[in-house]
Amino acid sequence: MANRMIPRLLQAPAVALLLVWMIVPLSMTIFFSLIRYVLNSSNRPEWTTPSLSNWRGLGNFQYVLENDDFWVAIANSLMIVCSILVLTVILGLAIAMLINRSFAGRGIVRVLLISPFFVMPAVNAVLWINMILDPVLGLQGIAVGAMNSMVDGLRDFPILGHFFALWPQLEPISFRAAQTSAYAVIMMVTWQWTPFAVLIFMTSLQSEDESQKEAAILDGASAWSRFINLTVPHLARPIAIVVMIQSIFHLSLYAEIEIVSRGNGNTNLPYLIGEFASNNIGAASATGIFAVILANIVAIFLLRMIGKSLMD
Amino acid sequence: MAAVTDRSKLGHLIWPALAWAVAIVFFFPIFWMVFTSFKTDADAVKPEHLLFFTPTLENYVNMAQNYDYWRFATNSAITSVFATMISLIVGIPAAYAMAFDPSAKTKDILVWMLSTKMLPAAAVLYPMTFLTKNFLGIYDTHFLVILVLCLINLPIVIWMLFTYFKEIPKEIIEAGKMDGVTTWGEIKDILIPLAWGGIASTALLTFIFCWNEAYWTVRLTTIDAATLSKLIEGNRAPEGLFFGRLSAVSTAAVAPIIVLGWFCQKQLVQGLTFGAVK
Repeated sequence: MANRMIPRLLQAPAVALLLVWMIVPLSMTIFFSLIRYVLNSSNRPEWTTPSLSNWRGLGNFQYVLENDDFWVAIANSLMIVCSILVLTVILGLAIAMLINRSFAGRGIVRVLLISPFFVMPAVNAVLWINMILDPVLGLQGIAVGAMNSMVDGLRDFPILGHFFALWPQLEPISFRAAQTSAYAVIMMVTWQWTPFAVLIFMTSLQSEDESQKEAAILDGASAWSRFINLTVPHLARPIAIVVMIQSIFHLSLYAEIEIVSRGNGNTNLPYLIGEFASNNIGAASATGIFAVILANIVAIFLLRMIGKSLMD
Repeated sequence: MAAVTDRSKLGHLIWPALAWAVAIVFFFPIFWMVFTSFKTDADAVKPEHLLFFTPTLENYVNMAQNYDYWRFATNSAITSVFATMISLIVGIPAAYAMAFDPSAKTKDILVWMLSTKMLPAAAVLYPMTFLTKNFLGIYDTHFLVILVLCLINLPIVIWMLFTYFKEIPKEIIEAGKMDGVTTWGEIKDILIPLAWGGIASTALLTFIFCWNEAYWTVRLTTIDAATLSKLIEGNRAPEGLFFGRLSAVSTAAVAPIIVLGWFCQKQLVQGLTFGAVK
């Protein structure tokens, strides 16, 4: 039996650490979600200490479920994650196909392409929302202003001027508004994670069976049918990996949301929890439990999908 | 036949040009950040100085003097290095046991480990703050940041190492056992030299994730153990008043990682695919 002891001992520290990490804070969250617990209350000072006597049962959960912000946050979380997944997979595939042949400077192209992946999320958000997307001072504002003055200039032209007079003045878009800031978040995260998808698809494309492709060419298969029937099935597993890893990271997206849309209503679950937690710990914890449930649904789905193939 | 050659010649020009264009578009925001960091705050928001301006190092000097950049950078470096080292020290033996001595439960343990990564940080933030502030007294210490960085990256470290170790023929390890090598000897003298490339890419990726981490490091620190993420979050200027300064701080925060990433591109590609894409 001694030889089963050693592998167990080797795994023990990792398993123990993760077990404590999972169980201790999570059980506290469960406890807090079942009691009335606020940080400041002049009327009910007894609620400011966590104790069993403030038992509220499922009241916090009911409060959260009846709160419109919660549903907005859920819808927004899913919308943001799904948009990013679709965009990065499509862009990643297109770019990987594009650079999957040798040409002058391919090494440099790869270095340039991968760079956004290394940018820290906080910098990514600050950079995009200020210097690129700002409607007045950012490149967006400057570009829109330049277009407008160009069209203005063209209006004075003899005959063509009548045509340009019909053109509307362009309005820059403010990405700090509730309706648009989700798009800003999608844009910046897609920029950061497309390189990741490109790298994985590229690695996979390089191992594609060339002889099979050549046979298909000889049989007169079109480029499109070669792509659909040979390349896409070959990429199924890398696509699954890209989707899984990104889901893990994007469900807990925070820095981008906080910097882009502080307080304007464009929230996701982690951000909403943060908002509640500024005072109402009970509600924040209940929302946290919902977030755990949502993450688990996604996790089960994803791990089923690829867990088996990863073990082979 | 001639038509076909013409078409493919054209293709030889168009595709590389398109690839270059895409690469430049993707790199542009980073270039723009570095470019803006050499403008004064006033020049940075003037359209007439969009491309032509007198470059200045003022922002970098200012940053070193007023923002205490080096303290944040040192904290980032210390916590990332230690967290990476510790997660490797914990992860290598675990992944070794899972890869070469798997039991019926190994797969479940691996999947469970990855599922802890899906636990939303926000859900357990308050308990963590509560515990570390009120009971353990380790809030805003390097120890806490290192511990948390370790814990959030451990699942990925073990997964990556596991996929690399599985590539090593079992016979090599078995042969070591026959020769009476101890477990420690097997890890040190056989496994680590054989899987060196995989371990290096795991370390690199973990280091990058630690450096860029922005949720826990911002929320579990105030001053003493605050990292570069905290510096950026704290200094985002409202409505573009300080584009020059902001660019300089941002450039200084991401430059070390981008340069590191460039040098280790090949290993990273391997690491990122979790060894699952060949």
